[in-house]
Amino acid sequence: MKNRILKLIKEQSIWIILIFSLIFFGIMTANFFSFRNFQNILLQTSINGIMAIGMTYVILNGNIDLSIGMIYALCAAVVIGFQSLGIVPSVLIALAVGLIIGAINGIFVAKAEINAFIVTLAAMIGVKGLLFVYTGERAIIGTNLNFTYLASIRIGFMPLPAIIFIVLLIIGEYILRNTSHGRNAYAIGGNQDAAEKAGIDVKKHIIINFMLSGGMAAIAGIIAASRMNTATTTLGRMDHLWVIIAVVLGGTNLNGGYGSLIRTLGGILVIGILNNGLNLMNVHTFYNMLIMGIILILVIYIGKKFEVTKS
Amino acid sequence: MSNGKLGKFSKEKILLILKKQGILIFFAILLLSVSLVSDKFLSLRNITLVLRQVSITGVMACGITFILISGNYDLSIGSLLSLTTVIVINLHDKIGPVPAILITLVVGVLIGIINGTLVGYLKLNSMIVTLGMLTVLQAVTLIYTGGTYSAISNPEEAWFRFFGRGYVFGIPTPVIIFGLFVIFFTIILTKTVYGKYLFALGGNRTASLYTGIKENYITFITYIVTGLTTAVAGIMMGSRMMAAQNYIGEGYEFTVLTAVVLGGTSLFGGSGSVIKTLVGVLILGFLSNAFIMLGFPYYVQWIVQWGIIIGAVWMDVASKRGKLWA
Amino acid sequence: MGGGIKLNIEVSYLLENLLAWSIISKNMRGQIELKKLIIVLALSLILVAASGLVLAQENADIVIGMTANNTGVDSYQTLHDQAFREKCDELGVEYNILDARGEPMRQVNQIQDLMTKGVDVIVVWPVSGQAIVPVLRQVQQEGIPVLIANSKIHESGFELVKGFAGPDNITQGVYAAQMMAEALGGEGKIVEVMGTPGYITAEERSAGFHQEIEANYPGLEIIETQPANWNREKSQEVMENYLTKYDEGEIDGVYVGDDNMGVGAINAIKSAGRGSNLKMTSATMFADGYDEMIAGDILYGTLYQSPIDDANYTAEIALKLAKGEEVDFFNYFETPKVTDENIDEYERPVW
Repeated sequence: MKNRILKLIKEQSIWIILIFSLIFFGIMTANFFSFRNFQNILLQTSINGIMAIGMTYVILNGNIDLSIGMIYALCAAVVIGFQSLGIVPSVLIALAVGLIIGAINGIFVAKAEINAFIVTLAAMIGVKGLLFVYTGERAIIGTNLNFTYLASIRIGFMPLPAIIFIVLLIIGEYILRNTSHGRNAYAIGGNQDAAEKAGIDVKKHIIINFMLSGGMAAIAGIIAASRMNTATTTLGRMDHLWVIIAVVLGGTNLNGGYGSLIRTLGGILVIGILNNGLNLMNVHTFYNMLIMGIILILVIYIGKKFEVTKS
Repeated sequence: MSNGKLGKFSKEKILLILKKQGILIFFAILLLSVSLVSDKFLSLRNITLVLRQVSITGVMACGITFILISGNYDLSIGSLLSLTTVIVINLHDKIGPVPAILITLVVGVLIGIINGTLVGYLKLNSMIVTLGMLTVLQAVTLIYTGGTYSAISNPEEAWFRFFGRGYVFGIPTPVIIFGLFVIFFTIILTKTVYGKYLFALGGNRTASLYTGIKENYITFITYIVTGLTTAVAGIMMGSRMMAAQNYIGEGYEFTVLTAVVLGGTSLFGGSGSVIKTLVGVLILGFLSNAFIMLGFPYYVQWIVQWGIIIGAVWMDVASKRGKLWA
Repeated sequence: MGGGIKLNIEVSYLLENLLAWSIISKNMRGQIELKKLIIVLALSLILVAASGLVLAQENADIVIGMTANNTGVDSYQTLHDQAFREKCDELGVEYNILDARGEPMRQVNQIQDLMTKGVDVIVVWPVSGQAIVPVLRQVQQEGIPVLIANSKIHESGFELVKGFAGPDNITQGVYAAQMMAEALGGEGKIVEVMGTPGYITAEERSAGFHQEIEANYPGLEIIETQPANWNREKSQEVMENYLTKYDEGEIDGVYVGDDNMGVGAINAIKSAGRGSNLKMTSATMFADGYDEMIAGDILYGTLYQSPIDDANYTAEIALKLAKGEEVDFFNYFETPKVTDENIDEYERPVW
């Protein structure tokens, strides 16, 4: 019985951290436990959350995607830039951009067998170049005000972006558990050679997952563009770092083969709560950064101690 | 590796040449083609300028080469560069240049010890942990200065400016320092036991595991090496600017990584060389300079970098397995 | 110094809880001593709750909320932040000051957080003048007044805010152009080193400069503009490249967006030995620029812009808005010209 509790705590440690931080900030600040505030947290975390869905798939394969921040920014710029064509066409074009860049990444990783870190590092640099060329370094303002309402729609009490995030998350988790693509993702991450010998089309799956990652970044970019109605070059600079951190906090193993989207959600929420709580607590920005960094290292350390190895 | 068919043999041989000299050939083509369009590109003045501009990245790249060969990452070097630059400038007027330099080096070693412990002994994932340190070190820099910038008063009279602005026999000092590091690190890598262990560590982790204790120690030492090279780079940077802004090192971790990877050191670990890194550093420097000389906006070079990096690494892995696609 | 004490207590409790976690790991050899863990956690939670009660006693009469562009990226912004806090303490108001770290999305989130907290006025130093316009619409609906600080937002947002407090960047560009004309005697070729493109302050200073040159000084020509993103090292690189590209006699003047970049450019000019033929004007004075102007010849003129004046002025106007008073829309403070002639009237800046 004790072993079962232990195992449970090991696997679900992110939820313990989540509850802990909720209690902590609830006590330390006045407005934390308000409906309004939780709505804010959901809204604010949905952008990185959507990107984290794609990132989880990629990391499950044993790969990584450093370019999502820039794909996110480029797609945000594209959806604003093409606004004159109408909302639906501009959204589709932005999605296509994300999927295409994802495919390029996937092809280089799967077919040329280049290390994903390098492929996506190079893509990060290159897509930033595309972003600057596309915007000409200036900010592009959107002209269609209706587009901004997209991000502020609420269904019930949930902001639309959060709903999109949750829906994508549920679909994503379903795919992971119940479809062959999902199971193969784990297999490829666990032992790529064995998976290949078992007849899995490893290359195809890797490419699909990178396209997913690019596509998620595109959706995130579209939502961001809706909230700001602007295409700027300063978007997405650090987002890839926090997305990776969230996925790893959620217990997904960077070597691949182990992880879950639901726990990635936990990681995303913890980071969102930390940001929100430290803001409400009026912690000076320098200490804010220090605390986030130390907590990250500590949680990784604890996670290592609690590590469930793949077997 | 010939299998009798003439066509395949030539292809393999071409790949071999490309692998060994590919990146150099590219470099030569780059230099030649740009100089045809801009006559100032290969002027002594311009070459000196580029060499001086890449020296700081180059020194850090020497340390990162070791890290990559051993199969790890260090993403905290950018923030460490900020911290060390700020410290050496800040302390220069307070306690004198020599103590300031010494303390800066000690700080570099200390951070190396922290990173080395986290990755080497506690066996935490180097990418994530150094990511955390990136945030921590930047925060420490900001807290240390309270957000203000630091400067050396009377910069024209301080001998400290020698490291970043001086000349030795007509060659800028930073270039000399970079050159010395390249020579020194190449010797360490190729002629010492430590160097052999680095390759073993990165190349085949399970095989080297039987020397378990050594593995932790080697990793630990390597992070100290990186801490030191970054501290030296910080001193060079401080000397060049004679002042320090808090975010001065931001982004260097990726610039340095790009240079090392471009040169041909593999991210899989187990292979690489400091000379290759030198080439990678130079390519990045001349590429950036070329764009300005040709009058293109600076951001177009990033798209070119995307292509070059992928191309260079692709040629490298393709030649190792003998074919273009896997 | 309510803010400071608060921080210390909060940080120490955070550390205490982190300590609790490290105790757990020390006992890990496959076993958690659950009892010990529970006790430690319970104790820290009790202490935290107690401190929470104590802090809740502080009453917030008026609360000013602020989201800054990027505190810590340069001295001006850091001093602005410090001075703003001190002024608020002096005025006896509570404050919640956040830092967007140069990320536009983070700033949008922070504005929403401040709305939720229910502050009496929101002061925004925009990261991007355009990106915050949609969220400002929400703030207006909430009924919270908004004051834009230091760098303007896009004009489509003007109807959503109560006002702007800061320097008049266009006039700064104009003054710099006038000083350049003086320095060069009305004739010459100029290269420009700009701030971050897209950032309205950088654009306005550049626009003001260009506008004045085109309108009044036909003998002057701006031959190239490159951004250095307010970064001293980048500016040095940009200038080095200019000097290589253009020989002696091909450039006569350099216009920089601020002294910070200016000093970087001067470094480049000096090491190339071309200081005798180049004159520089800049749009904001920093300490190094002050030294440079006194000691050397290259920097001809700059403008005095104190972050402390900036912050004090902004805080006062924010307080008025928080109390529900009306203010002018544009609240500019003076940024006078500084040259060799009048530099003794000014003290060396601390930024």
